Formats: sequence, C-alpha cells, structure tokens
Amino acid sequence: MSVDIPDVSADDLLLDGRIRLEDLVDREGLDELCKSFLALFGIPVRIYSTDGLLLADAAGEQELCAYVNTTQAGRHACASTVGAVKLRDAGDSGDVVHPCFTGAAYRILALEYDGRRVGRLIVGPFMPANVTQAPESLLGIDPGIAKERAQKLLERMPRAKAEAVTRIATHLKASLDLILFSGHKALVTSKMHLASVTESYRQLEDKTARLQEAFDRLKELDRLKSNFLATVSHELRTPLTSIIGYSEMLSEGLAGEMKPEQGEFVKTIHENGQHLLALIMGLLDLSKLESGTMRMKMRAMSVAPVLEEVVATLTPTARKKEVRLEIDVAPDLGQSRGDPERLRQVFLNLSENAVKFTPAGGSVTLRARTVREKLASGADEDGLALLAPTRMRLQVRVDDTGIGIPPRERDKVFDPFYQVDSSSTREYGGTGLGLSIVKRLVESHGGTITIEDNRPTGTSFVVSLPYTEPGPSEMPQQS
Amino acid sequence: MQINFGGREVALKLVYYGPALSGKTTNLRSLHQLTSEASRGRLMTLETKDDRTLFFDMLPLMLKANGEKSSPGMTLRIKIFTVPGQVLHATTRKLVLQGADGVAFIADSQVSETEHNAASFLDLRQNLKNLGLNPRELPLVIQFNKRDLDRIRSDEEISALASHGREPVFKASALAGHGVLETFFGLLHMTWAKLDGEHQLAKMMGVDPRELLPMAARQMGVSADVSTLLGACVGGRLDGKPEEAK
Repeated sequence: MSVDIPDVSADDLLLDGRIRLEDLVDREGLDELCKSFLALFGIPVRIYSTDGLLLADAAGEQELCAYVNTTQAGRHACASTVGAVKLRDAGDSGDVVHPCFTGAAYRILALEYDGRRVGRLIVGPFMPANVTQAPESLLGIDPGIAKERAQKLLERMPRAKAEAVTRIATHLKASLDLILFSGHKALVTSKMHLASVTESYRQLEDKTARLQEAFDRLKELDRLKSNFLATVSHELRTPLTSIIGYSEMLSEGLAGEMKPEQGEFVKTIHENGQHLLALIMGLLDLSKLESGTMRMKMRAMSVAPVLEEVVATLTPTARKKEVRLEIDVAPDLGQSRGDPERLRQVFLNLSENAVKFTPAGGSVTLRARTVREKLASGADEDGLALLAPTRMRLQVRVDDTGIGIPPRERDKVFDPFYQVDSSSTREYGGTGLGLSIVKRLVESHGGTITIEDNRPTGTSFVVSLPYTEPGPSEMPQQS
Repeated sequence: MQINFGGREVALKLVYYGPALSGKTTNLRSLHQLTSEASRGRLMTLETKDDRTLFFDMLPLMLKANGEKSSPGMTLRIKIFTVPGQVLHATTRKLVLQGADGVAFIADSQVSETEHNAASFLDLRQNLKNLGLNPRELPLVIQFNKRDLDRIRSDEEISALASHGREPVFKASALAGHGVLETFFGLLHMTWAKLDGEHQLAKMMGVDPRELLPMAARQMGVSADVSTLLGACVGGRLDGKPEEAK
C-alpha cells in the first residue's frame, strides 16, 4: 500500500515536530533548579533527556551508599542498581519505583511537554518511610557490612513518604513545564522572527532586482535616444544648409531679379529653414548635454559684458514689442569661471523668452549680483567662518512683468518640449527646447536655475552660479 | 498536516484569519476556556504591549481517538494559530498560513468594518495563491463575530449573504464564548472530511471516521452534541464540496 505523505518539514515552520528538552532549557539553570530542590527537601534529583543524556544532577553521595561502596560486593551491587535506574523507562503510567538493595528507593517519572515525553526525572535514593530496619538484602550483600553501622547510616538517609515524593515531583514538573513553555515560546518567536526577516529580505531582493532591470533598460533606451538624436540632427543639418544657402542666394538676387511674390516665397523658405536649423541645433545641444559630450570652454570671465551683449541683441525686438529692456549689474561684480559663449546662450534664451511673454508696456530686467548662499537654519556648522566665504554665488535674475508661470508648472518647464500651454507654441513660437538646454548648461557650470514670482506680476528666472571672491592676483586688470 | 504512522499521530494546522481587531485571539482565549485542561496545552500568545498580536497566537489541542476492534487508535494533535491582522504584518501572515489545513475567517459584524473584512479576505486569497494553495479547495468557514455590538449587520442580512455563499457561516460573540465552539467544530468537520477523503486517515489509523468529532467533543469537555454545534451554521455548505460546474 502506498501512502502519500506530504512533505511537511520544508514548508512548515510552526508544526515543529519533535521538541527536545536539551534545546529548550539552559543546562546550568536546570542544574541549579535541581540543586535547590535537593537543598529544600534533601532528596537527590537527576534529569535525563529521552536520549539518556544527563542534563542535571543534584545528588550528593549518601553516607550509607559511601559505606556500601567500601566493600567489593556492595560496590558491584550499587553500580548495577544505579545503572538500571539510569536506563529504566517510566512505564506507561509515567511513574515507577525502582528499589535498591539497601532498602532505599528511586522514583522515575516521565517528563512531558506538549503531550510528548521529553525526558525522565529521577528522584532518589531516599528511604521510604516504612523502612526502619536495615534489610537482609543490605546486610547480606558483603561480609564486610557491619549491622550496627549500616543501621545507623540507614537512619540518616533522607526519608520521605510516597505522597511527599509525589508532591515534590509534581512541583518540580510544574516548574519545569513553565520553563519549557517559556523556552518553547522564545524558540518559536525567534524562528518566526528569522523567517519574517528572511522573507522580507527575499521580497526586497526581488524588488531590487526588478528595479535594477528596469533601470538598466531605461538607461539603455536613454542612450539609444541620445545617439538617435545626435545622428538624426547631424544628418538633417546637411541638406538644410543647402536649402538655407540657396534660398539666401536667391533672395539676394544672385540668380537674377525675382518678382516681389517670388521674393516673399523665398524669404519664407529661408526663415523656416533658419527655424528648422535652430531646432536641430537645439536637439544637438540637448543630446550632447545629456550624453555629457558637450565641451565647455571654462575660463575666468565677467558676466557683465555677456549681459550687455544679450541686451544689445534683443533691443530691436523689445522695442518693436514696446517692452522696456534694462540691465542692472552690481558695480563691484568681479570675475567668475564659465564659458562666456554658453552663458550668453543661457541669458539670451531667458531674455528672449521674457520679452516674448511680456505684453506691451511691460519690462524685462537683467540683474546680476553676488549673494551669500543661504545657510541652513540655526547655522551652527563647524568652521563656518572659514567655509562661508566659499559659499558666494553669482546670481543673475531675468525678471519680467509677463503672464507668469503657475507654481506647479515650474519644474516641468525645464523638460524638453514642454510648454505650459501647448497653445502658446502657436501663439509665441519656439521649439520647447530652450529651457531644457538652459537648465543643463547652467548645471554643467555647477549652477542652479529656479523660478520665482516677480511681484506684482511676472516671472523671475534665477540663475545661481558658483562664484569665488577675486583674490589680489585675480582682480580684473582693466578698470 | 503531518502524519506519523509509527507514533499513530495526525497533526493538523488550523488558522484563524481576519482583519485587525476582529477577535481572532479572543476566539482562541474562549476556546481555551471552554475546553478541558486535559485536552489542551497552554495558549501561547506573542503580543506587543498594546495587546495587538505581533506574530501569532497558538493553542495546541490533543485528542485521542479510540480504535475500532483491536486497533490502538490514534492521537489527533491540532494546532490553532491566529495571524496578526494589522496590515503591516503581511509577511508574518503569509508565514503563519503556510501549511494550513483549514482556515476560519473571523469577520467583524459591524457594518463599518465591511471593507476591512473584504480587504482581509482578498489578502487571504492572495496569500493562499502565493503559497500555491487553491482557495477553493481549502476548508474554510466564516465567522461573523461581535454579534453583541450595536450597528452590526443584521441576522437576516447575514443569513441572506450566507445562503448565497459557498463557505459555512457561523455567528459569534467570542468575548462571551458564544459561537466559538460552533465555528471550531465546523472547521474541524470540514478539515477532517477533506483530509480523510484524501488520505484515508481513519482507515489507516483504524478509527471510525464518524466517531472522530463526537470523541473530540467529549475529550474537550464539550457537553453540546456535535450535530447541534454544526447545526448553528447559517448558510454555505458544510460538506465542503464545491458546486458542480454547470
């Protein structure tokens, strides 16, 4: 007959099959417990595991036993009794008496936990209350045993009635049961704890692996995207150069005079070609910035001439829109490090946007000054006096009085192709790439860009760049 | 389940599942109080200082079934566990549920707890699936606890709900000990029927399968008749057989 026995050990943590006494109790503690019983009742106590392992032993040798052991036959008989007691099972009732030839007795009791036998408790030797005279089995064991001496020592043996021994044993078993229960509870708890931790760890590892996989895939996709952008924009630029060049030549009359209408058409081709080129250049910049291949020509530079150039470039457009374009640079502004061409691109873009989104009669102001970096509240940092001077920032603000950007849109405007209102693309033009490029350019200068309200209306783009106060050797040469 | 043929022992694992504070531990405490000392061990509770179950509670029961004719019979060891209901102990719930032979779902009768009951049941179903157990094959009884409170789902509503469902439904107020034995015996009945059907336990151990529950009741010191206890079920199918697909 074949029986389907399910595999239980592996997947079941809690139906812990066999509980071993030696796993649950501290041996030294158990020994102390037994010794305290010996001290209290004067009766020796031993505890064996089911495997016959002696776990606790509180048994000082009795004088009678020592006397018997001085004779050869007595020694033999004693050893055989002790050996038999050690091996004797507690029987079905779990409580048996094993007599000794000296008249003394041992009680052997089963220790149970959770309905199973986990060991044996041996109480004795003690002299049962009804044994008052040295029995023949003791006196006759060896000629060397003297009756009077044996009788005297027998009277000194610990005495107990059967009921008293039962009471003592019951008490010891109850104490032990509590210890076993506590031990078992601790064992189960720690097993459970360990299993929980292991399981949580496994789940976390799973999740981490999945995230890593997704991350790797995204990184690869991102790399492909950048490559694609770089390739495509390069390939697109080549034919576009011809379109722009030839339309320019046409409109300049290099191929003969054109009718006014033809001139208009060619001008549109040229303008849109330029727009497309700007878009492609933007994409190229963006992909270079994202792939980290944009090369910055960093050097000591003043920001003021850069801003002046930006204002000069934009003045005609601003005037046409009736927007005031102003510049306000702190007089003591020294030099900082940067790529002037890239910074010009940054401020030109920001100012162009500002002019674009500011209605007639409004103003756009470019302000530059140095500021101390905001310190954390409390500012009880060590060595602040030394560190604070390194925390100067060059702040350039482009303030406009335009339509403003709602706070929740402020992070998104730096995403490529994002526009606050997609209809604004049609109304104001633009590629949607400018600000994302600006942000990356500023970041590659070690700076930050944020958007603030320009009260009462409008927006301030705040560019903050690292700035070191000029030392004597770095002071600007020209006045 | 564990079977030890040499020791003539069958060990069952029953799990009390349900949302936080639905009375799983209270069920175990009541069961502990309602049964004779000889048939049960100590109630092991692993709880935090605010009386919420941290890992689980465990109540061991030990029942001897006499054999027929010359058979020595067998010992049925039942370990009843509760899971921690709080949402954050998801891992522990799954671990405790491992290897369960039957589940009693302890629901809170209060109308306001309806969603928690449902969420916990879905959690149970998901955990069973994750453990590779088929929720439709596992013996499962439902207890609507806290019948003594106000603003609870009415008896009529529960009967109507139960009559449509597959799982046997019992009503209880575990704090007062009402319905606790009924739920336990309902679950034991279903679990034993399923395991005996699968493994022919009674035949192999030489015990009368119909006598097992009455014997268990006698040893646990339960005076009520088993059929009366099972009769408290207000709906569902106690025979546990899934409805034939139409």
